Amino acid sequence: MTVFMRRSSQRAEKMADAMNVGVNLEAFSQAISAIQALRSSVTRVFDSLKDGMKNKETLEGREKVFITEFQDNLQSVNRDLNELERLSTLVGRPSESHPLHNSGLLSLDPVQDKTPLYSQLLQAYKWSNKLQYHAGLASSLLNQQSLKRSANQMGASAKRRPKVQPSTLVLPPQYVDDVISRIGRMFPDMSIELFRPNGTSAVLLVTLGKVLKTIVVMRSLFIDRTIVRGFNENVYSEDGKLDIWSKSNYQVFQKVTDHATTALLHYQLPQMPDVVVRSFMTWLRSYIKLFQTPCQRCGKFLQEGLPPTWRDFRTLEAFHDTCRQ
Amino acid sequence: MLNNILMLLTVILCVLSPLLSVCQVPLAEGKSVQQTIDILHKKLEQLGAVKQGNFTVDCETYHATGNASGQPTKLLYVMHNSETPLSCLALFEGGPCLTADGNFDVLMIKLKSHFQNAKGHKVESRGSRYRYCDFLIKVGAVTMSSSARGISVEVEYCPCVVPGDCWNLMKEFMQSFLGPSIPELPSVFATKPEGLYVPADCVDTMTQYLELFSKVRKQQVLPGTTR
Repeated sequence: MTVFMRRSSQRAEKMADAMNVGVNLEAFSQAISAIQALRSSVTRVFDSLKDGMKNKETLEGREKVFITEFQDNLQSVNRDLNELERLSTLVGRPSESHPLHNSGLLSLDPVQDKTPLYSQLLQAYKWSNKLQYHAGLASSLLNQQSLKRSANQMGASAKRRPKVQPSTLVLPPQYVDDVISRIGRMFPDMSIELFRPNGTSAVLLVTLGKVLKTIVVMRSLFIDRTIVRGFNENVYSEDGKLDIWSKSNYQVFQKVTDHATTALLHYQLPQMPDVVVRSFMTWLRSYIKLFQTPCQRCGKFLQEGLPPTWRDFRTLEAFHDTCRQ
Repeated sequence: MLNNILMLLTVILCVLSPLLSVCQVPLAEGKSVQQTIDILHKKLEQLGAVKQGNFTVDCETYHATGNASGQPTKLLYVMHNSETPLSCLALFEGGPCLTADGNFDVLMIKLKSHFQNAKGHKVESRGSRYRYCDFLIKVGAVTMSSSARGISVEVEYCPCVVPGDCWNLMKEFMQSFLGPSIPELPSVFATKPEGLYVPADCVDTMTQYLELFSKVRKQQVLPGTTR
């Protein structure tokens, strides 16, 4: 019985921790010992009943002794019960606002090591609260700098201003074709082919001399994605369509793909997307001498087996990826 | 797959596929062919290259019979490359060349009356194949009728198609593991009308190997190199 009392007192303490002490711990432990006392006095009652009358000379003597003993025991039970009631009023209610509500009752599961549900649940809640807090901080920091590449206005101010049409996102395909063909004519060593394999989004196949081929996926006049492959690599997949997903087999062109993705994020001008496309194509054209130019910083051709793959966004000078800092 | 450079050392021939040129690269002092090859392997592994199996390039000579007397016999060379295992190349030196599939060897046997195989003149190069970033390096021992004649080193820069664009880049790479003695631009491009700025193909590689092997045939056997 004492072992059971110990375990229940441990559980009670754990519950108290979780439930954010609106509970008087002192009174709690006193109440637990009062329960123990009550139980032992009740046991004494039944023991004395079980033992029966003790051996005395007369029958009256025996009965009297028995009755006195019985009364004593019952009175001690009564006392202990009153004590327990008094203490239970002092213990207080557990706080109503415990964070896990009914899931807090999971802590009553005795087999902690086999199903650590409760502790895992607590950790999950703490983690998600922290995540929410950090996400809030991050979004307030990021909102300070506008990262929208399109001229689409959204937000609370939409109610006050007249509804601004996302004009640059919905352009007629003919206009896109015209812009692209004009840019293609600007550079003699770069040829641009336009496809529309999926709906109205244009997909461009840009061939730069005999050096590389790039696939540029557009969304109206905004460049969405680009992938660069070698001149001798296959741009079509098995079913004859343009393969816009597989990476190049060569490390140098995988690096150039990463740089091209950086470039398309760098050149931004929400109101004039055709200027953006022109800048991007000018930047891409600097790769015509990918294998012939040494690095401007270290003067060598190769660094870890790669030629200078980085092109500065303003000056179009060639650097190795590791030399550009 | 173009822009390979083969170099045969030992005295060595460098085959740069598609560039082939001969340059004198001295053997390490007192070392044999196998030891020099091991030194090269170690240098490549120090650079960071990874071994990717073996390669073989061989060349068989056939004499064309039935020529009018007084004319020099025309020699037909049939070459195989483990890089293109299903094909073989047949060419006359400086003349037309033909790319055929593996059955061409059987055809040559059937043409015994017109083309005789000069068995003692078979030259082959066997060795390991290394990959470093986008470079493919093949270091092999050149043997003619089981006597070691030298070392061939082939360097290929896979992403680039035009040899003229990446020649300097390849020179820098070769210097990093071969030392200062680097071959010149191969002559196979000098004969082309557009020179260096036309995409190379595997015929250029094999032409370079052929020149290399011809030089090997003309060479004397090196003293103390018979296996």
